[in-house]
Amino acid sequence: MDASILLALRDPAGVPFYPVVFQALYVLTWALHAAFVLLALGSMGLSLYGTMKQKTDSHWKILTPHLIQTGKISVSILIVLGVAPLLFTQVIYDPNWYVANTLSGMWVFIFIYTLIVGYSMYYWYYYANKSSQGGGKLIGLISFGILVFCGILMHNFAVTSIMPNDWMDMYAPNGVVDTSGWTFNIDILRLIFMVSLSIPVVGIFLQNYARFLSTRENFSQEFISHASSLGTKLSVVGLLLSAATFVLWMIAIGYLLHPLSLATVVGVVVLLFLSAKNTNSYITTGVLVIVALLISALRELIRYDIMGQLGYSIYDYPVNLEIPTLLMFLSTFLVMGGVGVAYLLTMAWKVGKTQGIFDGSKDIWVNKLGTYTISIMVAWMVIFFGWGMTFLFKNIL
Amino acid sequence: MDFIGQFPLFYFPEYGSAWIMGVTGTIHILASHTSVGAAMLFAFLAHKAYKENRTDLYPYMKKYGMFLLIFSYVMGSITGPGIWYTATAASPVGISALIHNFVWVWATEWVFFVYEVIGVFALVYFMGKIDTKTHLKLTYTFALASVGTLALIIGIISFMMWPGTDAYYATGSASDAFFGINTFPHMFLRIGFMIMMSGVIGLVIASAIKKENQSLSAELTVKMGYIAMFGGFITLFFFMWYMGTLPDNAHAVFNITKDEVILNRIILAIVFSLYFLVAILKPRFINPTLASVMIGVILIFGLWPGEKLRESMRKPYVAGQYIYSNQIVSRDVPGKGIKSELPVIAQKGLLQVNPFVPENLKTITDSNRLEAGELLTKIACSNCHSLENNGKFRPLAARLQGVDKDGIIGILNAMGAGAFPYMPTLQLPQDEYDAIAEYLVSKQY
Repeated sequence: MDASILLALRDPAGVPFYPVVFQALYVLTWALHAAFVLLALGSMGLSLYGTMKQKTDSHWKILTPHLIQTGKISVSILIVLGVAPLLFTQVIYDPNWYVANTLSGMWVFIFIYTLIVGYSMYYWYYYANKSSQGGGKLIGLISFGILVFCGILMHNFAVTSIMPNDWMDMYAPNGVVDTSGWTFNIDILRLIFMVSLSIPVVGIFLQNYARFLSTRENFSQEFISHASSLGTKLSVVGLLLSAATFVLWMIAIGYLLHPLSLATVVGVVVLLFLSAKNTNSYITTGVLVIVALLISALRELIRYDIMGQLGYSIYDYPVNLEIPTLLMFLSTFLVMGGVGVAYLLTMAWKVGKTQGIFDGSKDIWVNKLGTYTISIMVAWMVIFFGWGMTFLFKNIL
Repeated sequence: MDFIGQFPLFYFPEYGSAWIMGVTGTIHILASHTSVGAAMLFAFLAHKAYKENRTDLYPYMKKYGMFLLIFSYVMGSITGPGIWYTATAASPVGISALIHNFVWVWATEWVFFVYEVIGVFALVYFMGKIDTKTHLKLTYTFALASVGTLALIIGIISFMMWPGTDAYYATGSASDAFFGINTFPHMFLRIGFMIMMSGVIGLVIASAIKKENQSLSAELTVKMGYIAMFGGFITLFFFMWYMGTLPDNAHAVFNITKDEVILNRIILAIVFSLYFLVAILKPRFINPTLASVMIGVILIFGLWPGEKLRESMRKPYVAGQYIYSNQIVSRDVPGKGIKSELPVIAQKGLLQVNPFVPENLKTITDSNRLEAGELLTKIACSNCHSLENNGKFRPLAARLQGVDKDGIIGILNAMGAGAFPYMPTLQLPQDEYDAIAEYLVSKQY
């Protein structure tokens, strides 16, 4: 693909801030999104195994509904977190994203509706399992299959977007234009590696789960140990599998000795060591976040290099600074997002740690954070309307 | 300019790709408006339950919350990005314009989304696990966050219709683009609809608890009737105001189907007023089946035609009155350094400047005229019109039945001269008009 075409595909409005910022935001938010994709995949898959053991095994009887619930919430969170990288990639890599989506237009359509069906069925699975132990196996399995299929479609969009040299052949093979939107590409090693990560992620989640519940008296020590050791086994086996597929993928694309790739390998080894020892799973989770960021950065590096070789650099994207809305984002993200999410997570943590009813009105932090969140949101609304009216009057009077 | 920013074309057979976005959008509107409305209603109920110590309201809220969670958040959270995805496939240049103007607004909305999604789980699952005062505070924040998402998206979808004033074209500022003259009427129109939807959904749940608690069911049915009636009134009031803030091209399209639209709205207003009156005066008549059917009525007879109308009234533009539905930049936006692509297309032709036209179709010859004509027609027309003889939406077949080649060329020339306010003023070289006409004649509409 000729550089002049790629440059023509950039939006004529330019980017509203320095491209490197969008790139960094993309790497950060994709890592967050991926973490919940992997947790959803791992917990859903493990819950299906749990439904087979649930009736006879007392540990699985407790664990299975918790895994189903984790999967359910994770899907919601992965969707909302996925919006951010989707947004940022369109700002700086719009040629790639739009070409991939138009070439695979029919898959885009299928993706949305299969995701609705798959996630709705997951709720069905949740309720079926809640009403009878071991229930909803088939529905759960179908739902899981559909959601995995959605993941594969998403993989297709990502892979197609970094194949600019093949776009013309995909759109008009032998000069005959195909507007059907059925383009489908898969990079099997990359896909297997990404999917394999769901095993260590659910493993580390189980270690955290056991650690978190260890202070609750209504969970037996035996159950806690069982969950913890299952987590350790899964994370160790999963990390070995992920490491092997990662190396194969890196060899296939010639990135094995790149510093970012080596840093990822080191990160995985540290993760393996920490999760095998399992002395403090919260620290392991911190390292996992770093590894997720490294993988996200590596994906970005691959794309950046592919585009760079064709003469497209995001850093050359014309910049048309847009400051007021940037300030709105930053202040909302840092102030309202920071305080609000801290409020919800603090409350969730304390509810989880409490047997019976948690009285947040007597908890100084929950109380304060709640009041701050309301005040910030009200202030936000006042500023929004004031800002809007100022501009409106300026332009119409 | 060698190339313009045109992407590969995706065409959904018989319907046209833009309609796929319309279907997804309609479902999303039902779900998202329900969820914001329900968030406000939740805060109202939690306030009442706390202040009046009405513990009997909590089980209702829990049921309502589960419905909200499943219906609104499963459907809403997927179809929201879903509109984006399908818009990307159908109108990549249009969505790109929105992204590049409003990325920070969207990013801000995302912060609210994150709060909402975590919040909705907390709201429902912590009921009975936290004290009522803390729960009340949580419902207030949830309602504010939900309204925040509306406040942030409304300027973007209003801009899709038009920026409202000329200020944006001169400054390129997102603030000028966002706060146009129809942004606030549009916002309150939607808030009205959200309030109405919260009542409509509330009626399903209120009537469903009849067996468990008849008096509570009747009390809540009456309340939901009042809430829905109030929301409906706000919707109608702001709809009239909103219509007055639309551009001329929107009214040109609206006038074509004005009588039909007004009749539809009058019938809907009467039917739903009666329904809400029954809920207020004879609450026992309301049952879950009737209440669910009425949601379907809103979806099929209210939202779908409404979305179709809104989409039609934007014509010939898809965003900001500078991008045509066929993805061509149609005017200069000096504030952003954007140049109209129409002059270069008129001079060189679409086939030459579109980077995804294969080499064998770049120049029209006797042997490729039909094929080139088909591609040109798809690029220029298929975003709004289905091309097949049995096409479903705005089919060209219905418009060109019996028209010969010269007639079609005449129509194309008239369009190029700007004869129809709702069609793109797209001037092409004569050989491209000729190829399009030849292809359309070959369809034998």
